[in-house]
Amino acid sequence: MEAIQTVDLTKYYRTGLFKRKNIKALEKVSISVDQGNIFGLLGPNGAGKTTFVKLLLSIALPTSGTATVLGHSLGQRALKEQCGYLPESHRYPGFLTALDTLIFFGRLNGMPESKLKDKAKSLLELVGLKDWAKVKTKKFSKGMLQRLGLAQALVNDPKLLFLDEPTDGVDPIGRKEIRDILTRLKGEGTTIFLNSHLLSEVEMICDQVAILNKGSVVRTGIISELTAQKLIYNIQLSSPVSDDLKVRLGHKHFSLEFKDTSLNATLKDKSELNSIIDTLRECGIGIEGMTQQKTSLEDYFIQLVKGENGR
Amino acid sequence: MRFWGMFRFTIGETIRRGTLIFYFVVATCILIFFTLGISHAPDDPAAVTVFGMQVQDPSQAGLNIVEFLLLQLHSSSVFWIILFGIFGVAGLIPGMLEKGTIDLFLSKPLTRAELLMARAIGATAGIAVNLIYFFVGIWLIFGLKAGVWHWGFLSSVIYVIYAFACLFSVVTIAGLLTRSAGFSILIAFSFQLISWGLELRERGLYLISDNVIYHRFLDTIYYITPQISAMLENSSRVIGNNPFSFNATEFTFMPFLYSLFSTSLLYGISYWYFSRQDY
Repeated sequence: MEAIQTVDLTKYYRTGLFKRKNIKALEKVSISVDQGNIFGLLGPNGAGKTTFVKLLLSIALPTSGTATVLGHSLGQRALKEQCGYLPESHRYPGFLTALDTLIFFGRLNGMPESKLKDKAKSLLELVGLKDWAKVKTKKFSKGMLQRLGLAQALVNDPKLLFLDEPTDGVDPIGRKEIRDILTRLKGEGTTIFLNSHLLSEVEMICDQVAILNKGSVVRTGIISELTAQKLIYNIQLSSPVSDDLKVRLGHKHFSLEFKDTSLNATLKDKSELNSIIDTLRECGIGIEGMTQQKTSLEDYFIQLVKGENGR
Repeated sequence: MRFWGMFRFTIGETIRRGTLIFYFVVATCILIFFTLGISHAPDDPAAVTVFGMQVQDPSQAGLNIVEFLLLQLHSSSVFWIILFGIFGVAGLIPGMLEKGTIDLFLSKPLTRAELLMARAIGATAGIAVNLIYFFVGIWLIFGLKAGVWHWGFLSSVIYVIYAFACLFSVVTIAGLLTRSAGFSILIAFSFQLISWGLELRERGLYLISDNVIYHRFLDTIYYITPQISAMLENSSRVIGNNPFSFNATEFTFMPFLYSLFSTSLLYGISYWYFSRQDY
């Protein structure tokens, strides 16, 4: 079952003195997120990532298109009751302590008063702010506010968690801790929707991603599939390739690159791989290993976005 | 639960505002001043002195000396109370709309109507706490020291709170439209001045032109907007008749009723606007 299902979700912001000028934020975005997954939404600045989340949580209102979240239409109270949200730039009342902040947001989520304090304390412990429970949030650093924000998003035990740049301003140890928390939540069945610029982190924890550019989805898929370079193989051989064999393989018009006991083959289709393997075996050369070359998500993202933008 | 959560939070936020803390300090100073300054004469209110001085005798106006004092205190304090109140809470709506705050509030299972009403009622309740502190304090001092338990003065606080709640509807719509505390304050004070001008239109604005349409236009504006000036004027009439008032007439509920309609209208427009905005 899908946690999020959007069909042609479109958002145009109206600006100008008489709101006559339309600015495209999202154009016919159709995304499907499976329950229990960690889904990453990637895109350059202004691609529409935050707008997408805002539409799902009715912070902004769609121009057209439909969406369901956990089986509920947009704007329903039941939808919000089951969601947690950490916005990109969140502000907490400076006069409240960390504990009071969580209790306040727990109240807004309709949690029973009797459970609020214990829940707030356990969440502060989870995000490493146990010793700061009685300190006013105006004294918190950015990283600490980010941790508090995560705790706030978890206060109602959400089934679906929206996180917009959750590790922004957090030190490397803190980032690792947040990743661990997210992985644990995933294990408990929580669906996580992550907006992030830190592609290395997305690569580490996300099952699926979608890439937005200029308000439109340009790719969706499983990270391993997206980052697999199409048909570039590295083949580890038992012995170096003779000149004779190089000529033989060359006649078959493969694009090959030899280096001692390995060769890189760029192929047009997978049948060519079998042909290379057959030729190597005929010549008595054993194959010790073979890997399809992969690129990092960051490289893939940059190539894709540059290509889309014609740069 | 959700509504009350936001309501409680707003009261807390209002009370902690620097302006209202200042108001609280000033109110406390005034209470101490009267506690120390009013002579203890519970058996003879006419013999009440302030710091040993006999207060000017207003007997010609048929006023009890304590009543006269309470009336003067009410008239002079209401303006400052409203002033502090507006300064104190004008930032509540724009503050709620700040990026990072509104995102969090709207992501919670709280409707926009509930959110707006919790802010408006919470802000009024926050001001009411301060007003009640001052009015009840004065009432107790005069009761205990002068022996006059003036229920009219005590009940006048309800009308002042009501007038403030109506004025906050103007602050709300101004805050939603401008998203600026400064503009909200400016608009609220301008509105108060306009309200005062409209209240006295027969002696002022009417004289600009004899045109009937112009007069009807002023009347319409007067009746479709909260009648702040008239309500504050009436709130003092429950204490007694002020001989120095421009409009020395009997207390009437009409401004409160008209203002209930206009305030509801303003909150309705505010909600309509708020519910259609992207944040």
